[in-house]
Amino acid sequence: MQLKQSTQLKSLLTTATCALLGSTTTQANELENWQFDTALMVYSEVDRVSAAEAIIAGERTYDNDQVLNLKLTLDALTGASANGAVAQPHVQTFTRPSGKGQYQADANTTPLDDTFKDTRVQLTGQWTQPLSDGYTWSVGGNFSKEFDYMSLSGNTNIAKDFNKKNTTVSAGIALAFDQIKPKGGIPDPLTPMIISDLISGYDDEGEDDDDGINPSSIASSDNKTTVDLLFGVTQVINRRMLVQMNYSFSQVDGYMTDPYKILSVLDINGISQEYRYEKRPDSRQKHAFYLQTKYHFEHSIIDASYRFMTDDWGINSHTVDLRYRIMLAGDHYIEPHLRFYKQAAADFYQPFLNQGTALPEFASADYRIGEMDTYTLGIKYGMPMKSGQKLAFRVEYYNQAPKNAGFTQPGVLAEQQIYESIDAIIAQVSYSF
Amino acid sequence: MLKKPSRTIKSQPRDAGFLICFHAMASPCEVLIDTDDENHARTLGAIAAHEAWRIEDKFSRYLSHSVCGQLNANAGKRCAIDKETYLLLKFADDCYQMSAGLFDITSGILRKAWHFDGSDNIPSSAQISALLPLIGWQKTTLTETSFQMQQGMEIDLGGLGKEYAVDRSLQLINQQTDAPVLINFGGDLAANKARVIQHKAQPWQIGIDHPSFKKQQVVVSITTGAVATSGDANRFLLKNGKRYSHILNVKTGWPVDNPPSAITVAAPQCIQAGFLATLALLQGEHAESFLHAQGIKYWAIR
Repeated sequence: MQLKQSTQLKSLLTTATCALLGSTTTQANELENWQFDTALMVYSEVDRVSAAEAIIAGERTYDNDQVLNLKLTLDALTGASANGAVAQPHVQTFTRPSGKGQYQADANTTPLDDTFKDTRVQLTGQWTQPLSDGYTWSVGGNFSKEFDYMSLSGNTNIAKDFNKKNTTVSAGIALAFDQIKPKGGIPDPLTPMIISDLISGYDDEGEDDDDGINPSSIASSDNKTTVDLLFGVTQVINRRMLVQMNYSFSQVDGYMTDPYKILSVLDINGISQEYRYEKRPDSRQKHAFYLQTKYHFEHSIIDASYRFMTDDWGINSHTVDLRYRIMLAGDHYIEPHLRFYKQAAADFYQPFLNQGTALPEFASADYRIGEMDTYTLGIKYGMPMKSGQKLAFRVEYYNQAPKNAGFTQPGVLAEQQIYESIDAIIAQVSYSF
Repeated sequence: MLKKPSRTIKSQPRDAGFLICFHAMASPCEVLIDTDDENHARTLGAIAAHEAWRIEDKFSRYLSHSVCGQLNANAGKRCAIDKETYLLLKFADDCYQMSAGLFDITSGILRKAWHFDGSDNIPSSAQISALLPLIGWQKTTLTETSFQMQQGMEIDLGGLGKEYAVDRSLQLINQQTDAPVLINFGGDLAANKARVIQHKAQPWQIGIDHPSFKKQQVVVSITTGAVATSGDANRFLLKNGKRYSHILNVKTGWPVDNPPSAITVAAPQCIQAGFLATLALLQGEHAESFLHAQGIKYWAIR
């Protein structure tokens, strides 16, 4: 005799049980199975970029311990960011990314491109499910879109618990495809920015609404692919202490140049002669090592982590992050946060090009890949609400201090501040229900 | 006859609420209730205890005055039954159909030949053959108001009763409270919702002891739904190096080959979990692959 097929057995059993126990079998309200986290964040750099971000994330746990996570993020970005050119003792004029219109930088100020105005939508989904023998499997995807950028990625991860779940070993892979379609097209790298007086008028509004093609453009879009491999071990040391170690390897291929960034070309007196579009290698390999430990004291938790990242662009970075959560009465808590970050410059980073010397193969004056130190100082306050909801506030101060990676500043440039530091304030409110 | 444990209910505080303990159906029974209100917890615990005792009194085959005892004493006659008995027997009928005849509540009579006392006392084929005619759910007649089996036959609802009591008790409790509750009647358990510990939803974590099996403990974690365990504990026979489990194939009257020592199954309702655990054991050495193929969550001990 043949046993009933699986789906049939389950549904027959459900029907039989309904007959026995009535249809009043406990069906939880679907919404009660979801846990939602929402957050609103504002990030504001002094005189530069401001960003607002809204996040809503939902987590649904199913009866078999399967977990579905969905997250929607909306970002709005406005303001100005450094275009890569150095400050000069005179007013400087730049072509907008569209190739139509111009903007200016005052004398003795870091040139900022005020074109930035962007909205980003990001959708993330992850499905995690326990398998037999202590294995947990997870698969997820991510899609994000800005007006000039699109990113699509997928990942999968497998973890195994050992020693009564005191040890977890995991391995994962993620693949991403990113496409950039910059305003005005992809500029021809290392060629001069064309500043034409014929281009209609100065546009001080900071808008670049024109969908024109930059005369330096060689393509309308380009893309890159990323492969990430991740290996991790989490070890419960005792009932108070947990240690996590991760290693990740990334291989990125494709277009990684920032189409909006330029370099000043200086003569021997330090006077800017022209601007050239930057160029970065089309391959990058990164290795990252991460160590985290959490320790539960009687009424507080310390969470400390260190991350070392190195890549074949020559960027080495160290991050130390410390959080100390102090439990107060009634499940309120206060959590100071301290973070230090130190980065060495990429091999091809240079703050400017010199006139009369051969063009390097790659060059970028983007402060984000230059030498820098940053630190973050913050505090978070969290409290439970009446029916189990949670409310938390976070305020942080962020300082970014680019450093001279050993470049001498010729002539008039010696008087200019070309490694300007940035101060920012981050404020966040989060609510979970 | 053994003196029955007294029917008392004890209450004690525990991490996030109260634990109510009592004894029913030859098992220690617990109700865990996450609430600050001890009186409320006691009320809910009492509901579960009285329901468990009611079901024990009504369906235990060891009690001559129970419905089950009466049906067995009157085998061969057509007996009137009430609605609840009909529903339970109808469920047993569904189980028989779903298992293609492997799950049969008339098979208990094989105990007359098999005494699983750890000895090498294997019955003879003749003894078993003599009993086989008295087994077979298909030989019974069930209507909404009556039940009839052949003379000499017996039914045993022991394989379903405890799980049924868990489901019924939780149903009754759910009508009285919104608090998270876990019911555990001798290792068969069900929970109504996730616990809320420090404002975060947490599953119930329960260790199910199998003391006879190398001190192994199965730790299960559930938010809602049920878990039931079936096993042969130390009930087996050993002869010439062969282990005879107490899981009997009703069609042959002989033990199935190489079943797991115990199997714990998760399902939305406890009675479903109990049926699936028993059905899995009846698959013998294929128990795990059977559950796996059905997409059912389980923990097996061999």
